[in-house]
This record gives sequence, C-alpha cells and structure tokens, in this order.
Amino acid sequence: MAELQHTRLHAGLYALAALLLVVQAAWFYLVGDYDRILLPALLAPLLITAALMRLGQPETARLSAYLVLVCGYLLVAMELPAQSSLAPFWLGLPPVLTLLLLPLGPAMLLNLTLTPLWLLLGENLLDLDLALGYLSLVMVAGLAPWEILHQRSLLQATDPLDEECDAIRRSALHDRLHSECERAALLHQRLAVLVIHLPQLEMAGEQFGPGARRALLGSLCDTVARCSRDHDLLGREGDADFWLVLPDTSESGALLVRQRLEEALHRAVLLDTGPVETRLTDCHLRHGESPGHFMQRLQATVQRQVNG
Amino acid sequence: MQSKYKVGLLRLNLLLAALLPALMAPASANLTEALLLWMAAGWLAVSAVLVEFSHRRPPLVPWQLLPSLLLTALLLTAPERFPIWLWAWAALVMLPQPAWMSVLNLLLAALSWGWLAHAMPPEQAAFSGAVLAALLLLGLSRSRDLAPLRGIARRRAHLAPGLRLWPRAQLGRDLPRERARIRRDGVHGELVLLRTGRRRFWHQAQRLCTLTRSFEHCYRLDGRTLAALLLSPDAEQAEHRRAELLAALGPIQRLRATPLSRIVSLADECRALERQTEATGPAREVDHG
Repeated sequence: MAELQHTRLHAGLYALAALLLVVQAAWFYLVGDYDRILLPALLAPLLITAALMRLGQPETARLSAYLVLVCGYLLVAMELPAQSSLAPFWLGLPPVLTLLLLPLGPAMLLNLTLTPLWLLLGENLLDLDLALGYLSLVMVAGLAPWEILHQRSLLQATDPLDEECDAIRRSALHDRLHSECERAALLHQRLAVLVIHLPQLEMAGEQFGPGARRALLGSLCDTVARCSRDHDLLGREGDADFWLVLPDTSESGALLVRQRLEEALHRAVLLDTGPVETRLTDCHLRHGESPGHFMQRLQATVQRQVNG
Repeated sequence: MQSKYKVGLLRLNLLLAALLPALMAPASANLTEALLLWMAAGWLAVSAVLVEFSHRRPPLVPWQLLPSLLLTALLLTAPERFPIWLWAWAALVMLPQPAWMSVLNLLLAALSWGWLAHAMPPEQAAFSGAVLAALLLLGLSRSRDLAPLRGIARRRAHLAPGLRLWPRAQLGRDLPRERARIRRDGVHGELVLLRTGRRRFWHQAQRLCTLTRSFEHCYRLDGRTLAALLLSPDAEQAEHRRAELLAALGPIQRLRATPLSRIVSLADECRALERQTEATGPAREVDHG
C-alpha cells in the first residue's frame, strides 16, 4: 500500500514539475525572452514521460529518476551562467535533487565528481567560500539518507519479527531454537519442530503480485496462531519455509498439531491462489542431540521438502 | 559485521561535515554568523561521537530540532552568503521525525524561503518556491517511509544487536506466557528486579545477559533497573542461584525476587522495589512466605 502511494506521489510530482516548466516557457514567451523558451518546452514532455515511466515496472521506474535528474541538471546548467546574482542559490539544487532521487552511494559519488563542473560553469562561482558551502551542503544533505539507512539496518538487526509477516525472522528463530533446545535438555522435556513449506508462494508473487503473496503469508501465520499454543513459536527459515517450534511436545502431540494445521490450512481458500497448499514434516529433538546437529537435520528436511 | 562498518563510515561523514562549517567560520562578517557556524560544526561533531549501532540512546527531540533552528538562523542572518543552503531543508525533512516536527520544519523552510525571496525578481521567487515545495514533498515521502515501522518495532526490538536485552513492553507480554509455561512444566520461576547505578547500567546489563541461560530473558525497565526471568527446579535452588548471580554481578543497589505465580502486575513489583529499603531483605521473605 505504502509502495503504491509512493509511486503515485512521485508520478504526480513529476507531472507537476512538467506543468511548472510549461508555465515557465509561457512566461518567457510573454516577456519576449524567446531564446530561453526552448529548454523548458523540450524538458516538459520529458518529465511527462518520466511520470508515466514511474508508474511502470521497477526497472523503468528507476530510469525515470535518472530522467528527472537530467532535466534538473540541464535546467540549472542553463540557468547558472545567465543570472550571476542568483547563481549561488541555484547551485544548491542539483546535489539535493540527486540525493532525493538516487540511492545514497551513487548520489554521493555523482555529487562529488560533479563539484568542479558546477563551480566552473558559472562565471564568478570559483570562490573558496562558495565551494565550501557547496561541499557542506553535499555532506550534510547526504547525512539524511544515511540516517535512514542506519535506522533501517538497526531495526533489521534488532527486530525479531519478519518484515512481511508475523513470523520471527531467521536469526531470531535460530537463537530461540537454540535456547529452547537448552531448556528442553535442562527440564528433560521433548521438543518438536514442524517444518512447513509453502509451494505456492513464489508463484503467487510472480503471477498475482505482492498482495497475493502477503495474503498467503498472512493466512499461514493466522492459521498457525489459531492452531498452536501461546508459547509455540513460528519462525521464517527461508522465503517459503517456516519452522514451528513446539516446546514440550511428544511425537504424537506433534502429529496431532500437524494434522490440525493441514486441515485448517486446506480449508483456508484465498481469492487468487485458491486453497492454501502446504508440505509439513515433523522433526523431534533426540535425546542428547546438540542444538547445532538438530538444526542441520531441520535444514536437510527443508531441502527435501523443497525438492519434492 | 557489515553494520559496524557502516557506523564507522557514518561517523567519518559526520566529522567531515563538521569540519566544513568550521572552515567557513573564520571568513564570517560578524560574530553571530561565526557563532552559528561553530554551533553547527559542534552539533555535527557531537553527533559523530554519539552515533552507535543500538537503541540505547534514541535521539532526543530537542537535539534533532537544533539543526533546523540553526539553519533558519543562518539563512536569516546571512541570506547573501548561504542562499545555497536553502535546499538543505529537503534533507532535514527527510530525517525520521515525529509528525509535528515535520510540520515545524516545513514552516521554517517557508519562512527562510520568504526571507530569501525578497531579494529575487518575482518570477524567480515563484519558480524557486515551487521547486522547493516539490523537493520538500519528495523528502517527506522518504521520511514517512520509515515512520510506521519505527514506532511499533521499537517496542519489541531488543536494545542492541547481539545482546539478549528486551524493552519493558516485551516483559509485559512475556510475563503471562512464561507464568503459564512454568505452571505446566512444574518448575520454579521468578522475576528478579535489579537496581543498578546509571553509569554501571550497560556494563551490568551485559554481565546479566552472559550470566543467565539463553532461555532466561533479560529486560531493561528504565535507565537503572534491569529485570530477568529465572528458572530453577525449586525455590531452594533458585535462592542458591540468585546468590551466585549476585556475587558474579558485582555491587548492585537493590534486588527483589518474586516467584512468577505471586506477581500481580509489573507496575506493583516496580513500586515495591522503589519502597524497599534494604538491598535484598524482603526478597527472601517473599520467597519463603
């Protein structure tokens, strides 16, 4: 949903920018500045194209950012020599535009390599103070996307929940499985793990889009939450592979959970993909088995499931 | 490991960014301008020192607000020297921030644009205003990206990567579940609250995490209180274990241990710890009584 809003907002903004350029061209016509009409008049259709491309596939969407960037660069490059008093002001636009449109790495690289070009383009711009001002703008503005990246990777490293569904993510799952093995050993309990594979997931994403994919994941997580106890733990081992950790569960208990889950999942019918197909296998921690070995066995089970 | 590397680079970028305004300060026309530039450099340098890869110190709102105020002040005092920095508003708006602060930033951006627009021909002023508005919107959309994620995830994310320390909200969720499990398993479980000094807090939090078993979760209740859910076969061994833990942890100010079956609410336990005068006295009474 957020992704769609984003796309529309960007496309809308590009279209508005095109409109702005048309207005500018009309203004030049009205004041009789015929030499300068050409550029905005040429760039406006280019921006419209970018707006349409933004609505397309991810590949073309990325291209549209470059298109908008080129438009911005050309406008500023034409503007810089023309008006010397406002040139320092317009000089700040390209680096910020780059940072807003491109990912941090390419944006920083582009900004730093283009520095001498921008400063040489204007007539009286080769001034130490302005160069420092430009560089500080590049550096400081670059900090904002960097902070976003920092926060995002921090959340990824500390948030136990997966981004797409209500299962815990792989690293957290391994930690928790380790600690559950340890607990089971200490309290002399059994530990079972149901290995779940969703064969439809990849196909759902490719054929019906991210919505169908999320619906499938959501239905699995909801069904598991309904069929299991409060302290059972669903984790995402791979893209379409899940482990349901069942502490203090005997072999017959795990079998029961498995049957219940299979039935409930088969009853769940989704709009795009139909009944939810799953492959389930139950594995049990052997007496005296190390957590590492148990984990290897589980991963081998996942492999077998994926292959057939 | 990759994340550590990123923090190093981020710190370098912050330091470089701090260096530039410091270099510009000597060329200032008056004292206010120089002072503002030094403050900007100082803010960036202190941020570089504070940056780290954990949730230990979430950025405080006044600290985040400072660059916006500095930028406004710089643009108002010396519009002819720093017009280029007007575009920095798009980056400031991009930072993850509460909604009211985004609004404030937009207002400040409009104010400084209005101030600069005085000196421009009207058509240039209008054009630059429209371009700035578009950039601000682009920046805002980037910041809104992360906002919903942040609020919810903070309450369940553990506080530093690799450290088994969870926020207080998580203990509220774990407590009933753990109580039910312990009743089923027939073992003795207890909630241990530890009051440490503020300065020793992170050191002792790390010690606590290494001294407890991997299935015994540890929590940070506030800036100087730690909690842990400990499991033992029976009450006697629990006491033995607690004594060992205490000896290994080093000096702490107060300790309170309550069997999970007796806990009414977490808030009550925290109040009881607050009222407690002896270091460990009543804990034992509760245990046996």
